Amino acid sequence: MIKTEKKLRKREKMADLTLNALGKKCPMPILMTKKELKKMSPGQTLELIVDDRGALKDVPALIHKTGDKILETKDDGEQITFMIQKA
Amino acid sequence: MAEDISFIVKDRSFEKFGMMLILGTTGDAMDVKMNFFFTFWGLYLLKKKFKPKASGMPFPMKGMGGKIFSKRLAKFGMEDPWGMIKEAVENGNMKLYPCQMTMDLMGIKREEMWDFVEDPIGAAGFLELSENAKIVSL
Repeated sequence: MIKTEKKLRKREKMADLTLNALGKKCPMPILMTKKELKKMSPGQTLELIVDDRGALKDVPALIHKTGDKILETKDDGEQITFMIQKA
Repeated sequence: MAEDISFIVKDRSFEKFGMMLILGTTGDAMDVKMNFFFTFWGLYLLKKKFKPKASGMPFPMKGMGGKIFSKRLAKFGMEDPWGMIKEAVENGNMKLYPCQMTMDLMGIKREEMWDFVEDPIGAAGFLELSENAKIVSL
């Protein structure tokens, strides 16, 4: 059971943490992300889901300041998903 | 190293309150030191009991703007603006300074303000704080 789960996680590259900020507008996605990052250990990943279009620029601006990394950005026009890794 | 930012807040509208809230809390998240200097009508924003009005609201809606905007902000995730500001202050990145002279001018007392507001300072104190900062007038 555990072995299959681990294989699934590895294949889908699931994040260690997920932060759902849908419906939240600036600056909430930024403040919420900063709070999560503070609790994380180096190497851990955070999947951030937003629908605030301003976040497209805001999140990279925050991550640039904190020194962490954005591994991937997915934008389907409605939702934006960032995969962030704590440095 | 990034410069600090000093904001001069001279109005008491909801709009200016909102700008202070959003810029201050975001600056805190980005570790940018922000000092807010409240003078003249801006001092009202520091009063615990003051409810700012939206100055840009068209005539029939005047007076209701603050309430409408507050409700919407809560929907967007900002249910407790002063709680958010208090947190940014406690993190050390956001400081709220009342101007002593205009406090005396307008008869506003320190006890009427939130307790996490700094002690009042004067123009020289503000200029010294802002020596290596960008100064923005809100």
